[in-house]
Amino acid sequence: MNTCDCHHKTDVRFSDYYSENILTWCTNCGNYGIQAAIKRALVAENIPPCRTLLCFDVGCHGNGADKIGGYRFHGIHGRVLAFACGASVANRKIKVIAFGGDGGTLGEGINHLVSAIRGNYDITFVLHNNLNYGLTTGQASATTKSGIKMNSSPDGVTSDPIHVMNFVFSLNPSFVARTFSGDVKHMSGIFQESIKHNGFSFIEVLQSCPSYNHMTPHQWYQSRVKDVTQMSGYNFRDIKAARQAAEDLEVQIAIGVLYQNSKSVPFMQRQANRLKVSGDLVDEVKVFPTEKLFDTFR
Amino acid sequence: MLEFQRLVIKIAGESGQGVNSIGEMVAKALKRSGFCTFGYREYPSLIQGGHAFHQIDIADIPIHSSAKQTDLLICLSRVSFHAYLPTLKNGGQVIHMLEQLELSNQEKKLISDQQIKIVYIPAQNIARQIGGKSIMANVVMIAALWQLIGLPIDPLESVLRAEFASKPKVIEPNIACLKKGYTYKLEGLNPVLIKFKPQNKHKNDGLLSGNHLIAQGAVSAGVRAYFAYPMTPSSSILSYMADIYHQTQMLVKQVDDEITVVQMAIGAMFMGTRALVATSGGGFDLMTESVSLAGMTETPFVCILAQRPGPSTGLPTWTSASDLNLAVYAGHGEFPRCVIALSDPQSAYLAIQNAFNIAEKYQIPVVVLTEKQIAESLFQIESLPQSPKIKRHLVSEDKFFSLVAADRYKHTKTGISPRWLPGQSDATFVANSDEHSADGTVTEDAQISLQMYTKRLNKQITLHNDLPEPVLIGPNTAILTLVGWGSVKNTVCDVMNLWNTKFPMKCINYLHYEYVYPVRTKKLTDLVKRKQPICLIENNAFGQLGALLTQETGCHFEDKLLKFDGRPFFIDEVGEFLEKKIK
Repeated sequence: MNTCDCHHKTDVRFSDYYSENILTWCTNCGNYGIQAAIKRALVAENIPPCRTLLCFDVGCHGNGADKIGGYRFHGIHGRVLAFACGASVANRKIKVIAFGGDGGTLGEGINHLVSAIRGNYDITFVLHNNLNYGLTTGQASATTKSGIKMNSSPDGVTSDPIHVMNFVFSLNPSFVARTFSGDVKHMSGIFQESIKHNGFSFIEVLQSCPSYNHMTPHQWYQSRVKDVTQMSGYNFRDIKAARQAAEDLEVQIAIGVLYQNSKSVPFMQRQANRLKVSGDLVDEVKVFPTEKLFDTFR
Repeated sequence: MLEFQRLVIKIAGESGQGVNSIGEMVAKALKRSGFCTFGYREYPSLIQGGHAFHQIDIADIPIHSSAKQTDLLICLSRVSFHAYLPTLKNGGQVIHMLEQLELSNQEKKLISDQQIKIVYIPAQNIARQIGGKSIMANVVMIAALWQLIGLPIDPLESVLRAEFASKPKVIEPNIACLKKGYTYKLEGLNPVLIKFKPQNKHKNDGLLSGNHLIAQGAVSAGVRAYFAYPMTPSSSILSYMADIYHQTQMLVKQVDDEITVVQMAIGAMFMGTRALVATSGGGFDLMTESVSLAGMTETPFVCILAQRPGPSTGLPTWTSASDLNLAVYAGHGEFPRCVIALSDPQSAYLAIQNAFNIAEKYQIPVVVLTEKQIAESLFQIESLPQSPKIKRHLVSEDKFFSLVAADRYKHTKTGISPRWLPGQSDATFVANSDEHSADGTVTEDAQISLQMYTKRLNKQITLHNDLPEPVLIGPNTAILTLVGWGSVKNTVCDVMNLWNTKFPMKCINYLHYEYVYPVRTKKLTDLVKRKQPICLIENNAFGQLGALLTQETGCHFEDKLLKFDGRPFFIDEVGEFLEKKIK
């Protein structure tokens, strides 16, 4: 496939990802910082907008889909991971980054998270975890703590929450990180690491929601987060230790690259019939002679 | 009564007894003897037990349908003997391997009334005496059949040797079983004289299922990714795609559910390759929200919807054409789409290729309807038809640099906007499931929303004008026109051939819809204006094509032949229907 050569000579700049459209999130929403951090990471990795596919789920974060540069797809609720996995296998030259909320990812679309981790599709996934359904005005999600009074749960949430990291670690992921929407620099550093990873990278962003999450606001997280690089003897190649470190969500919340498998084999490199193929599926759409296939039925 | 020039053989047994594989071997050997065959399967949704058969209709002209009544029944199991004895014609013959066979009084009467001849072969003992396994009894049985129909053994032997080429140890005992069965004295049976002549030109034909043909069509069309979740009767597309994936180097991936399937396909298509999915009704139900997404984001999408009887799990291994409404109306909101229905082997190979060209040109979802009857029946054809050219309708390379984001969904007369792929241009855009303006930016503005809605629906008008009218098969003047779609065509055409030869003064013809939606109506309304007698024929209860045509034309179908018992139309049924109708 012939491609755009707009950035053959110049480095990618922050302004390349500029959009004229005005952001519509609530004041102090964590999404502002997340979007800024993604742009920073893409620029730092020198990935031009024409080589990026940003995939958005439906939810507050998805309303930013038309307010950033790059190729983008704003799909339907809960399905972003399956879409992004399908897109990524077709053209490995395009960096695929997917975004989803805790509602769509851990509720309606949780099966896709399982598929994406098991298949180790070569994409970055950013979970905007703000502990509620924001765009539908504050209902409980799968990560809302039990007992909390939410829209439509007047006497408090009656189901126990999913522990995101326990769930993700149970699926033998190849890259797991956690970061916090109040720290753009930390986020962009994590996003850079995930973009460089070969395989599926899962990033949980602990995200403030000033409108509907009053239990764990910005300051609550800020006083509790601690990067694993500041923990003595932390080994991000040790999945058991990572799982243990990720456990605590109340006192000291571990952030940073919690785990990375150095032997990660991404999805397309697991396909026995494609190992000798250097091109991508997008390059291969042409007539394939079928006479030989037919002849085996004579 | 209409006398079809066919010999009908039914090989019946339990699921797990290898009924289908020996059926395929017999069909192949018949073909290599120079005959035309059509293979039809009935089997339960079980891995072992129940009763199943593989029926081979044999003729001297190409046939794509089955007779209901059987000439010869080869029985491997007790249950199948009792189940299929009543399907025998007058003078029918049975070869079975049941040491002790108890017949009910009713069966005894049937056998005597119909002059049915029955012979027992101790096939399992013969196989064991040779030193083979009891499963080799199957070979004894088909060799006995071969003796009965008086054909030279060579084609059957060569098929058998090829079948076991990968297991050299079992070849010799199988060949020994073959020789024993071929010479076993079939006491009381009458040798069958095949009334028509074999022809050399058929010996090298291909023998393959509709699903094989669909898969080969997809390969030819440049499909590079196949995503699926198994569901009968679409599953054998998945297994065949996997069987040939080292040759094709296609990505073949079974994923965890149909929603993942459809989303991955839309993702891969958005990125710019050709991806295919196939499922049956229940799986398609799960996909419908994403069909609407493809409509809104103008992402090409092609899905094979292999029909079986519903509702719900229904009859999983049986046939039906009752999901036309599902294909036409699936997905919320209003958006353009195309629905194409397969019928014969040529259409199975070609329609999928046309589907991709349509999906990419109009940037719409295309649903290709097939049926268990097409998917799993064994068709004999001389060669594959000529493939249509791949037409992708993407922006040409010289225009990449001059594109702007707002070209992606810009207004055009046809409703079709320029489409380019991620990586091709620095004019990046958003494909948005929200209503959007020309560059994909979300909008709630009444005027822009209306324009965009209209733009998308204009594609439907353009497509409607581009699609062909249904095909009128048979003579132009006829005393009755049957109207149908899907596998019905195969039965009707086989019956029509004979009918019009036998009753040249009472010819019939058949109006066949392959492009079902958006539906063209001129040919039909012309017939109605001429007051041509018309009868709708569909493999469903609602007469779904008829209802669609009524909706589009105002013409009502008074006369309908509808069948919805999980079985396809058989030639004898359609023949009888015509005889009653046209006196």
